[in-house]
Amino acid sequence: MKLASIKPITVLISRELAIAALLLLGISFLVFMVLFLSPGDPFSSLLKDQTASSAIGTAARSEIGGPAPWYYQYLAWLGNIMRGNFGTSIRTGLPVLREVIRTGINTLYLTLGSLLITLLIAVPIAVFSARRGFTATNWVLTMFTYVVSALPVFWLGYIVIYISMHRFGLFPLAFGSGAQTWSWVYFMLPVFVLGLSNGTMSEVVRHLREELSRVFSEEYICTARAKGASIWKHSFKEGFLIPITEIVATKIPFILGGAVVVEQVFNWPGMGRMAWQAAQDRDFPLILGITLMAALFVRLGSLIERAVHIIVNPRFAKE
Amino acid sequence: MIGVPVLKIENLRTYFYSSSKQAFSRAVDGVNLALEKGETLGIVGESGSGKSVTALSVMGLVTAEPGVITGNIGLKTDGVQKNLLQDIEDYVKITNENGRTVEVSKDNPGWQRHIDRVLRGVRGKEISMIFQNPKLSMNPFSSVGKQIKEAIMLNTSINNAQEARERTLYWLEQVKIDSPRLRYDNNPYGLSGGMCQRAMIAMALSSEPSVLIADEPTTGLDATIQSKIVSLLEELKSSVGVTTLLISHDIDVIKTLSDRVSVMYGGRVLESGPSKEILSAAHNDKHPYTAALLASIPTARQIKAKSYLQAIKGDVLDTINLPSGCLFYARCHQVTEQIKMQCKHQEPELREISSNHNVRCWRFFNA
Repeated sequence: MKLASIKPITVLISRELAIAALLLLGISFLVFMVLFLSPGDPFSSLLKDQTASSAIGTAARSEIGGPAPWYYQYLAWLGNIMRGNFGTSIRTGLPVLREVIRTGINTLYLTLGSLLITLLIAVPIAVFSARRGFTATNWVLTMFTYVVSALPVFWLGYIVIYISMHRFGLFPLAFGSGAQTWSWVYFMLPVFVLGLSNGTMSEVVRHLREELSRVFSEEYICTARAKGASIWKHSFKEGFLIPITEIVATKIPFILGGAVVVEQVFNWPGMGRMAWQAAQDRDFPLILGITLMAALFVRLGSLIERAVHIIVNPRFAKE
Repeated sequence: MIGVPVLKIENLRTYFYSSSKQAFSRAVDGVNLALEKGETLGIVGESGSGKSVTALSVMGLVTAEPGVITGNIGLKTDGVQKNLLQDIEDYVKITNENGRTVEVSKDNPGWQRHIDRVLRGVRGKEISMIFQNPKLSMNPFSSVGKQIKEAIMLNTSINNAQEARERTLYWLEQVKIDSPRLRYDNNPYGLSGGMCQRAMIAMALSSEPSVLIADEPTTGLDATIQSKIVSLLEELKSSVGVTTLLISHDIDVIKTLSDRVSVMYGGRVLESGPSKEILSAAHNDKHPYTAALLASIPTARQIKAKSYLQAIKGDVLDTINLPSGCLFYARCHQVTEQIKMQCKHQEPELREISSNHNVRCWRFFNA
């Protein structure tokens, strides 16, 4: 009996891992091809505006890798990846894996924090309006979430920076510079901005409200009521847990996209900003490393979603 | 047996107002029922006659926003004595103009909270309920055993998990579920409809309620399973002996299980009395509607002779525009010239024609 309840999860995880591996392979190839075909190369960006003779340029090129056909470059990179070597950044010379992990943690902090903010605001509104029906108060609250979700991240970011820094001089402009008394608030700012305007809030409200009120009118909730049990307890799995994980999993790519902008605006040393810089530099190994990491995040989100589904209701495993 | 009834429904009215607040449907319109300790009272009638809404009104489960309930529902058991509809009118404001309802405003959240407050300790503990559709009525995300255990822990003096589990297994055995220990961990989708209904019955009885409301307990099931559930209910009636309000449109079910019966039509009780008397084809003094209902059941003789069943002519009442006279007038076979005008314009009262047998029909008081 116990074995049967564990099994679907093991199957799911091994299947997800296989899918993830294939997906990463496909993504790396696609990104590599896009990079290869797009104009510009790391060396010309690296040597831009430097009065270097073409002889020195050629020497630098052959030192780092030299001109090689694209399939050779890709397979060489892939072979290194298999051995756990993600290469070094062309611009900084630092190992890609370590850099990606370092900035990835910052981005994770930013995205998870902002997600928490989104949920902290959206969930009470959704639950309130699911329970109380359509009232003036929750119309106002719902409109608020729609308006906030529609604000562009970069715009809100600059407004917040302008108000907090230029008007009130609260924080230093650069991340982490100076041990100021308010520095922890500074850490909160980008999290707040992304949390408000990552476009997820209104969707959480809408989806959760609809699911929750649908579940409230299910017959088994009527039974729960009739036996004197809590309808919250009985509607939690279908009406709350599943919709929340669904929406969060599908929104992870968008939040990561928003993180790129927020990191840029707030000078946040995260993966998004590094991706932006790397794209400008045509820093191939770094771009590939970041892409793989981002894809892994997204995949992880959907894995968690599927896992929650299966844990909550083993019947889903069969579908 | 005769004493203060356990559950006494007086003048229960459950109306559903339309969004324009003009027309409304009188789903239950002045129902009086009394449930004596230990007996089974059947409510029978076509669909739309207000049977289920009566049950849902008792449990405070009329969740539709425009539902307004008035009347008295007195519950008197060993532990509790209260009016389940106490102060419920405070949450509804009905504005009348020239005798017509023009506006109904209802503080729905407040109303709901009030009902939940009044019924705390009643739902499950004093009154428990079995629903129509067993598979949809059990939480699909939890095992059958856990759901019964929850009811036991909430509503009985047992608050030890292990003990509650044992008790759950006992009840699963009582409702004749094979290998209860295995079924305990099954989710409802792993059980057949009949099995689910058995589990529902086990859950309802496990709370050891004073009153059991069975709302169409056999309707959602196959014919063969239906008869098994009926015989299970019959056995439980003698072994557990819980006071039951049994609602069904199936006359055979009512006949088998109930001691007394009330026949409902258009939100009213048209006839009530001992079920043996009312539901036997041999007994002639009954409401024309009851007679018509009985005539619509095939008997062995009819099946043999391949004669057609008698459908009741006409449709079930539109409860939005009720006629002024007898509710059944338009479909009645037994209107005579003598009482025609009365039938058409004046509604008869529910009056006793023989001991404990009440009928709402002009035929009986105009002879």
